[in-house]
Amino acid sequence: MSMDFILAQTVVNGLMVGMIYVLMAIGFTMVFGIMRIVNFAHGEFYMIGAFLFAILYGSNGMPFAVSVLLAIGATALLGLLMERVVFRRFRGNELNGMIASVGVALILQNSALLLWGSSARTVPPVVSGVLSVGGIVFPWSRLVVIIGAIVAVVSLNLLIGHTRIGRAMRAVAQDSEIAQVQGIRVDVIFPAAFVLGVSLAAFAGVLMAPVLSVSPFIGLAPTLKAFVIVVIGGLGSVPGAVVGGLLIGLIESFAGTFVSASLSEILQFLVVIGVVLLRPQGLLGRKEREA
Amino acid sequence: MNPSTTKPMSYAAVAVAVILAVLLPWFAPNQFYIHLATVGCINLMLVLGLAIIARAGQLSMGHGGFALVGGYVSALLSMKGWPPLLTLFIAGLTAAVIAAALGWIILRLRGVYFVLVAFAFSQIAVLLALDMSSITGGANGLVGVPPISIFGYVLRAKPQFYPFALVCALATLLLTWLLYRSPLGTMMAATAENQRLTESSGIDTHRVQVIAFTIGSGIAGFAGALSTHYLRFISPDSYTFWESVSYLTMLVVGGRDGVLGPVVGVLVLTPLPELLRSTEGLQHIIYGTMLVLCLMFVPNGLASLVQTWRSRQRVARTTTAVVAEEVT
Amino acid sequence: MKRFKLVAVLAASVVCSAAQAEDSVTIGVHASFSGAGAAFAEGMLAATDFAAEDVNKDGGLEVGGKRYKILIKQYDDRYRAADAVTAMDRLMIQDGIHFVVGPMGSAAAVATKDQTTSGKVITMTLAFTPRALGADAPFAYRPVITTGEFSDPQVALLAKNTSAKQVVSLLPNDETGQQIGVANFNSYAKAGAKLQVEYFERERVDFVPILTRILMKADGLELGGNSPTTAGLILKQARELGYRGPVFVTGGDVAAEMLKVAGKDAAEGVYVHLPIDIGLPDTAAYVTRFKAKYGQNMNGFSPFFYAGLQMLFTAMKKAGTVDDTTKIATTLDGLSDVPTAMGKAGWTGQQKYGIKHQIDLPFYVGQIKDGVVTKVATCDVNACR
Repeated sequence: MSMDFILAQTVVNGLMVGMIYVLMAIGFTMVFGIMRIVNFAHGEFYMIGAFLFAILYGSNGMPFAVSVLLAIGATALLGLLMERVVFRRFRGNELNGMIASVGVALILQNSALLLWGSSARTVPPVVSGVLSVGGIVFPWSRLVVIIGAIVAVVSLNLLIGHTRIGRAMRAVAQDSEIAQVQGIRVDVIFPAAFVLGVSLAAFAGVLMAPVLSVSPFIGLAPTLKAFVIVVIGGLGSVPGAVVGGLLIGLIESFAGTFVSASLSEILQFLVVIGVVLLRPQGLLGRKEREA
Repeated sequence: MNPSTTKPMSYAAVAVAVILAVLLPWFAPNQFYIHLATVGCINLMLVLGLAIIARAGQLSMGHGGFALVGGYVSALLSMKGWPPLLTLFIAGLTAAVIAAALGWIILRLRGVYFVLVAFAFSQIAVLLALDMSSITGGANGLVGVPPISIFGYVLRAKPQFYPFALVCALATLLLTWLLYRSPLGTMMAATAENQRLTESSGIDTHRVQVIAFTIGSGIAGFAGALSTHYLRFISPDSYTFWESVSYLTMLVVGGRDGVLGPVVGVLVLTPLPELLRSTEGLQHIIYGTMLVLCLMFVPNGLASLVQTWRSRQRVARTTTAVVAEEVT
Repeated sequence: MKRFKLVAVLAASVVCSAAQAEDSVTIGVHASFSGAGAAFAEGMLAATDFAAEDVNKDGGLEVGGKRYKILIKQYDDRYRAADAVTAMDRLMIQDGIHFVVGPMGSAAAVATKDQTTSGKVITMTLAFTPRALGADAPFAYRPVITTGEFSDPQVALLAKNTSAKQVVSLLPNDETGQQIGVANFNSYAKAGAKLQVEYFERERVDFVPILTRILMKADGLELGGNSPTTAGLILKQARELGYRGPVFVTGGDVAAEMLKVAGKDAAEGVYVHLPIDIGLPDTAAYVTRFKAKYGQNMNGFSPFFYAGLQMLFTAMKKAGTVDDTTKIATTLDGLSDVPTAMGKAGWTGQQKYGIKHQIDLPFYVGQIKDGVVTKVATCDVNACR
């Protein structure tokens, strides 16, 4: 294997993993920005999305598009239910909301264990083959993940930037009381934001299921990554989540390729401490208003 | 919370509880109960540590990480021949120093950032324990950690270890109670209540929170070491994220406000897994459900129910007195 | 205040001990039913379940003229050492159990060793750590074959069959992974090849970065010690990176799942460890039975525990007691050529562990050809043929 090949491979891989982290972190940071809830259960929705897709597409042989929509739709419904029953009560109460989300994570993960069993599942690849560019090959299975994630991020950006609900969400994120005064229906925006965040996590799960494996325990690792990313990028900042996600993905890929896998975890922690020391509001975060 | 415990009635209740706890080895049907009680004592210390941090308005999701650090420090030193009674305190001190350094950096941030970074820290602690296998024994952990001995009296068996664990737990309880009543405790509570207001009255809330985090994490380090010398074993899996979650659950279910809350939380949740030990996964679901339900309906914990009941009685008594006065 | 606790536990114990009226022997199952190891725990419980079912079907285990029903009590150790000690205490003290299938993990086995030894409880562990067995633990047995047994003879065979000299291995950074890494390293050194071991965090599912680096100068890939799905994933990702060299999986029961995950083409030519021989009618029957009852593929370790329990029951009958574990252990030690579902079993391990408490069963090496596994050698601890 040549050095070019390795470098290209490392970049593609970093982008793939990074884009998945971006999807996770955007949902996480949105829910925080709008509802002020640190959602420890975020990764469990990723897990459930992946599981549903594995069951529908892998085990029952449903058509691809139907499986994707059903998996995301069902996870979104579950998210709506959780918002209605649990999270809505903790809006604005950061500490209790966070603890409640840990409880939800426990419930979801172990329900999945009881329901679907503990053994890891795999999903047959959606695409196969490799893309060859100037002698360097990239497996299509990974490129599809990158493309899918980019499409999701771009559409989300359009949604937030150019639709009424998007503008309303931004207004609520800035100040929910003022938004309410201006006639924005906050009680619609909160569940909408939560469901959107959960759907992004589920979509990340669906994208990763054919590339990696699915078990009830896959949710915690991406949650941790989402935490690290939003601290680096700035809590509540969507562009920050994109930058932070890609950064972490590339760190992981380069450290894993050239040094060792466990070094990358420690390196990420040091990056976090560095950012916290030098730029506490995160790379692209706003300074907290003094209120 | 605390004013009520100063009443003579409450002193009597506390005395009875302590006597019952001390006498446990004599009326426990077998050693399993003593084992559970010992685990309860260790849990109580960890939850009290968490409660002190919460008292200053912060929440540590990395509590297990400090217990892990303490456990390894004490295990390694005592395996080198240091007396375990000394290494217990060194373990607590090490955890406290790390917490002070980490706290000084991250506590300048808003609550949520602190939680995320503390959580990341505990993950790194597990990772380091796994990777530095030449020192920590890697994933296999450290076996044959020496038992604690006090003036040549070796605490090896359960009935011998329990009194020591009880003394440690009661001492921690007493210290916490004294801390809450001290000026520092008042500053902590004020910081939690309204950080900005407290700051404007000239109190360095950042320092108050760092101190609370340092004390709480130091206790976690000590308790982690204590547990290590009891089980005589430690591995990276001994204190994971889910341990931190279970201490948090005990604190929230019991109540965050005073010293009674942690005691109630530990008493309810230490034996609970035993009822469900034969089931797969179900116990975690019940843990999670309890956590969520408590937050929704009894956000101040089960201990607050006692409080409400008492004040209601007081109100009832006063009303009766008033009525009696009016009649005469 | 401690009284609340007592009442709660008391209530639990009353419920639990209600079932002990008639003559019976209770087997404890001590494993991690929740968490990532749950599939192993279920395999252990299933084995105990089947063994009990078979004995109870014939009216119970006949020992010293009496018939004993076999009961089961399983406890979850939540994959934590502290919980392992608590669960073992409960089995021993609270439930008065003398026989335990478990502990499952190495941490649990090591943490409970003193306890079970002083309580004279016969244990059958899954723990791969060499420290699970020893002269200081005369009641601890291991009915599964570990790297310590199979890696030397297998690696010698593989080194003979291929020309691999620079082999790389990817293993999870946990107790089993680290154990296997060391054992395999030594086995490869003995066979004249160099093994470079790379550990990854357990949660990791993307291996491309590590593979990119380590496959650069490797002429062999060793995947033994990974779960079947992980082994399949690594194989798939390695082939996608263009790796065409030989692949060995000297451990686990991975063939079926690996074929599913990696596909027929990627798996072509891979050498795999075969813990069981489904050519044996009893073993094949066990696999079918498992699938029929639980619907999912059998955990490869499950039949070993069934075989271990068959040996334990034989020893109990022969010793004529169900309480005197010292006598039962001595009898169990003396057993050899016991017919089990896995073939004729005995004990080995004197040289390696200082005590003959490691099960002695044949194992096999297979090679995947065109999506089918064919047996290429039958092995014991000394050599593969």
